[in-house]
Amino acid sequence: MKFIERFSFAERASHWISALCFLYAAFTGLALWSPRLFWLSGVFGGGETVRAWHPWAGLFFAIALGVMFRRWAKEMQLDEEDQVWLSKSALYAQNIEEGIPESGRFNAGQKMMFWLQSASAFFLLLSGVVIWFPEVAPRSLRLIAVLVHPASAAVSLVGIIVHFYMSTMAVPGSMGAMVRGKVSEGWARSHHGKWYREVTGR
Amino acid sequence: MTNGWCDIANTDVVLVMGGNPAENHPVGFRFVMEAKRKRKAKLICVDPRFNRTAAVSDTYVPLRAGTDIAFLGGLIHYAISNDLCHMDYVRVHTNASFLLREDFHFSEGHFSGWDAEKKAYDKTSWQYELDGAGYAKVDETLENPRCVYRAMKDHYSRYTPEKVAEICGCTADEFKKAAAVICSTGRAGRVGTILYALGWTHHSHSVQLIHTAAMLQLLLGNIGLPGGGVNAQRGHANIQGSTDMGAWNMLPGYLRLPRAQWQTFDSYLKATTPKPLRPNAMNYWGNTPKFATSLLKAYYGAAAKKENDFGYAWLPKLGETENQSWGFFFDRMHRKEMHGFISFGMNPVANGPNTEKMLEALANLDWLVVVENFETETAAFWNAKQLGEKFYPRYVDAKSIQTEVILLPAACFAEKDGSFVNSSRWLQWKRAAVPPPGLAKPDHEIIARIFMAVRALYEKEGGAGKEPLMTMQWNYEQPLMPSLEEVAREVNGKDAATGQQVPGFAALKDDGSTSCGNWVYSGSWTEAGNLMARRGQEDPTGLGLFPNYAWSWPANRRILYNRASNDADGKPWDPTHATIRWNGTKWTGDTPDYKADAEPHQYGAFIMLPEGVAKFFTSDLAEGPFPEHYEPMESPVKNALHPNASANPVAPVMKSSADSMGTPDKFPYVAITYRLTEHFHYWTKHVASGSELQSNFFVELPEGLAKEKGIKGGDVVRVSSARGSVEGPALVTPRMQPLKVAGKTVYHVGIPIHWGYVGRVRGPLVNNLTPSVFDPNSGTPEYKGFLVNVEKV
Amino acid sequence: MPATTVAKLIDTSLCIGCKACEVACQEWNEQEFTLGVFNNTYQTLPDLAPNFWNLIKFNEQVEDGANSWLMAKYQCMHCADPGCLKACPAPGAIVQLPNGIVDFRQENCIGCGYCITGCPFDVPRLSPTTKKVYKCSLCSDRVGAGMTPACIRTCPTNCLTFGSRTDLVELAAQRTEELKADGFQDAGVYDGPGVGGTNVLYVLKHASAPEKYGLPKDPRIPWTVSLWKGPLKWVANAAFLGTAVGALLHYLKFGPKETHDDEVH
Repeated sequence: MKFIERFSFAERASHWISALCFLYAAFTGLALWSPRLFWLSGVFGGGETVRAWHPWAGLFFAIALGVMFRRWAKEMQLDEEDQVWLSKSALYAQNIEEGIPESGRFNAGQKMMFWLQSASAFFLLLSGVVIWFPEVAPRSLRLIAVLVHPASAAVSLVGIIVHFYMSTMAVPGSMGAMVRGKVSEGWARSHHGKWYREVTGR
Repeated sequence: MTNGWCDIANTDVVLVMGGNPAENHPVGFRFVMEAKRKRKAKLICVDPRFNRTAAVSDTYVPLRAGTDIAFLGGLIHYAISNDLCHMDYVRVHTNASFLLREDFHFSEGHFSGWDAEKKAYDKTSWQYELDGAGYAKVDETLENPRCVYRAMKDHYSRYTPEKVAEICGCTADEFKKAAAVICSTGRAGRVGTILYALGWTHHSHSVQLIHTAAMLQLLLGNIGLPGGGVNAQRGHANIQGSTDMGAWNMLPGYLRLPRAQWQTFDSYLKATTPKPLRPNAMNYWGNTPKFATSLLKAYYGAAAKKENDFGYAWLPKLGETENQSWGFFFDRMHRKEMHGFISFGMNPVANGPNTEKMLEALANLDWLVVVENFETETAAFWNAKQLGEKFYPRYVDAKSIQTEVILLPAACFAEKDGSFVNSSRWLQWKRAAVPPPGLAKPDHEIIARIFMAVRALYEKEGGAGKEPLMTMQWNYEQPLMPSLEEVAREVNGKDAATGQQVPGFAALKDDGSTSCGNWVYSGSWTEAGNLMARRGQEDPTGLGLFPNYAWSWPANRRILYNRASNDADGKPWDPTHATIRWNGTKWTGDTPDYKADAEPHQYGAFIMLPEGVAKFFTSDLAEGPFPEHYEPMESPVKNALHPNASANPVAPVMKSSADSMGTPDKFPYVAITYRLTEHFHYWTKHVASGSELQSNFFVELPEGLAKEKGIKGGDVVRVSSARGSVEGPALVTPRMQPLKVAGKTVYHVGIPIHWGYVGRVRGPLVNNLTPSVFDPNSGTPEYKGFLVNVEKV
Repeated sequence: MPATTVAKLIDTSLCIGCKACEVACQEWNEQEFTLGVFNNTYQTLPDLAPNFWNLIKFNEQVEDGANSWLMAKYQCMHCADPGCLKACPAPGAIVQLPNGIVDFRQENCIGCGYCITGCPFDVPRLSPTTKKVYKCSLCSDRVGAGMTPACIRTCPTNCLTFGSRTDLVELAAQRTEELKADGFQDAGVYDGPGVGGTNVLYVLKHASAPEKYGLPKDPRIPWTVSLWKGPLKWVANAAFLGTAVGALLHYLKFGPKETHDDEVH
């Protein structure tokens, strides 16, 4: 089997750093979300540690995401074919390939995920900073932030569940792409045909 | 206080003026609030500042500092002209009917007897017309134009509401609104009280001011009644005690200090014992020989004998007209006429007028002993330049001060037993809560040790005036540490023969058979024990008098002049609210301020006075028989009543090189100094809680003035007078209202005391601004109502 | 509210701003000494602090040319429906005792500061040193031992009263009537109906304008906090579960995407 490079080291590093930070922030966030889930704080260092580290995890997540954003924002622009792809996404979900345009390096679903995560991270960061410093931030901002932060987190989390499902179970081989950086030519041709041709020239 | 703290709850109207009890006596103020709640009493606050008392008052009237006599004189006029006086009371219990000498008069700001050259009064004309027996003539109808009532009515006819407004800066309507409430008590069944403090005593006419208040209360029939009186709220836990014990200008029990012209005991007694001026006057001061003899016996014990005038010769004598109150002796110190000074429980650098003068005076001493809880400004006076350079530009550097300073650490109030005498005249015995820290010792031990050491030195080396020291009775079990119980028993008085405690001052004798350290305290520690330690909570009259709680002087009377709460026949003016009443054979209720079994007509109600009745007119004071409005020594305006006699003509004004007076062109604003709830004098800046609650010195400025000067809250401002300056952040507030005085806008500048150059929190000493001007009767400095300028720093 | 509920009544018409309650609070709670901060008022501090739980606010006003200086003690209101408790994520950090006292238990506090946002009265304060939140406990330690809270014990003018809520509601109503009879037609009781009533009650001369005293006009738990801790929580929880279950079902129905043979070309 021949392999082609899908993600560079820098891409993989920033992805996994942001993923780890996200996971920590997500689980500790859930602990702070509800007294029912507060037990989660025990798993992640105890209540005070969680309170202290959660914002830092969020901040590093945002920074790592920022790196990815700079690298990919251009590639993630949706083009006309993406519009067609999106209109056929129901077929994609049913694993029907006919009539779905071939994808470039990222298909429209991935692009949507990218924008979704970027947007929610943006709101999480802003509202998170406000919540981080309750004695400094004006009350009016805090009142908005306590709503914006969990709402954005919920959106983000829903997206991440989908992302996790897609990358592990739904599309075998994706994990390898993000872990080792390489995919087989067949995988590339099957899931990102247009990109495969661009890369290989075939 | 004529009455007492608890008694305030019995009143219908509270006039707070020259005081700010909500801030400075918050615990006692509970009784004002109780009167408001339970009796629907009205609280009237008259003050230059809308203060915390004003905040809970029913009526607030602003007035210019130092114009209180004009306001009170206006009330006298209002009461008389509107027929609101309690005339039955006035007729029975005052000298309203007494006839004055024909040569008594008042014109252009001066009473008869004024010598413009000497700037002094000859008081000969300030007397009653006497009959052949030496008694004052009276006119019961009050028709005679020379009777006191008519003279008073004439005197205050000038004090119309409009005149009051013109002088005080309030509006005539504000005055009349307050006057209507205050004078509503001028009838039986309704009573009003007056609460005052240092806002009245810190003037160059302060004693006359309180005299005016007493006159008003007499006109309204409010003296001697529960819920009435003229009530001084004392500023320290035991300041009443130190006054009673003669710490200033008196011997204990308000006996006069001996003077050079009274070289024999006989001449002293002759000069200080009054003769009755009416046939029915009990004239209790006629017993002065008993009190004075017993005092000498307490001082000199067995050495005091009839043959040697009971040791009278050993007492130091003042010069004929010499004044040794402390404003005067600091002036002497400033002139280098003193060598040493013991500052005991006092901080003259902080609380004396004209701080820089105080500092200069102390630097003239050879030695200074300070006995205190903390290192005070006085103890650290030599370092003032370094600690507060900009406020003391003339002052010298520590290097050039040769004074030897000794600071003796003293126990504080909670570290010693003994008694406190509160404003209610209650002697309350207390126990030490904790032992003194470190080397600190109780005051009496420090005094005893100094006394014994000085005596031993005289014994060894001899010296002038040895005899008084050697003959002084000092028969305590531990001479270096007399117990305060021993001292208290000595103060109460003993029978010289049996050594038994006397039951009260009635038992004192002038033949040397009794001793007594202070006749007004006699009865506080009898054979029945220490009555000051009693804590009985019985209240038989239901008036909150608590006769078995501690012991109040004199004779455990809770309300002074209580005989006056009854009419001529001994019937209470208000039977629902009676402190004593005559049951046909004796007086029942509180201890009567009267002979317990004397029928109502036998004596006048005011048993201490030679008149037997209370005095509207008196020759006792320096500046006149009737109080007259005089401007403060530094005033923004001329006296509207008599511009050529603007300020008190006989008030002493010091003239040392450090003293100078300001004029309104350079110093256009009226300054007042005051205390805050959060602090106690200059002590609590050393204590965590007080320092936390008010950490910062500040200057209260009226909004209008701040606007004129472009000053915002928190900006640092410099306040300067002809003496010196202070600096601090401005507290800009609408609570300091501008006042219209004679068509001119007058602003007040408010400066709280409490800070200084030592302590946990620090700030300037406000007395750096105040003038060395004094009341001629009491020697109290004029801390309220002097001129300053304000500028943004 | 249960009969055992305790309360504090602050009769502002009797407050003289003496700050005795502040000292008592500081001393009983053994607070560290701090310097006051000047802010152009007589207040000790501009606002409550982590080590200063009881602050008299000095409110200066001029109305129709007349001065007023309304003093009102400010501290935790011990709401029946406490916003702090609603916002708090850490079980046991904020407890509502059977007697109605809302108490902060610092040993369980994680210092997130959510309670500060949840509180309609802006009372809890986060300590920058301990990273815990503090406020008036209504002296739950003293009350538990049958004593009166320190501030109430020291008040010289009977402005402060402690007792059962039922009694104090009655006393407050009586004082209101007295004030009305005294000419204060606007007198009334401040009891925060928006938070189910507060166990700190005020008698105000100007009840229609509590903001004159530095009190919020209509205190309620902020709607964003209610939304956050209410509907949003359930919607989001449903979304998480729904997505996860949906993914699982998707896999079961459609299985993974196929990768076509690598060796075709």
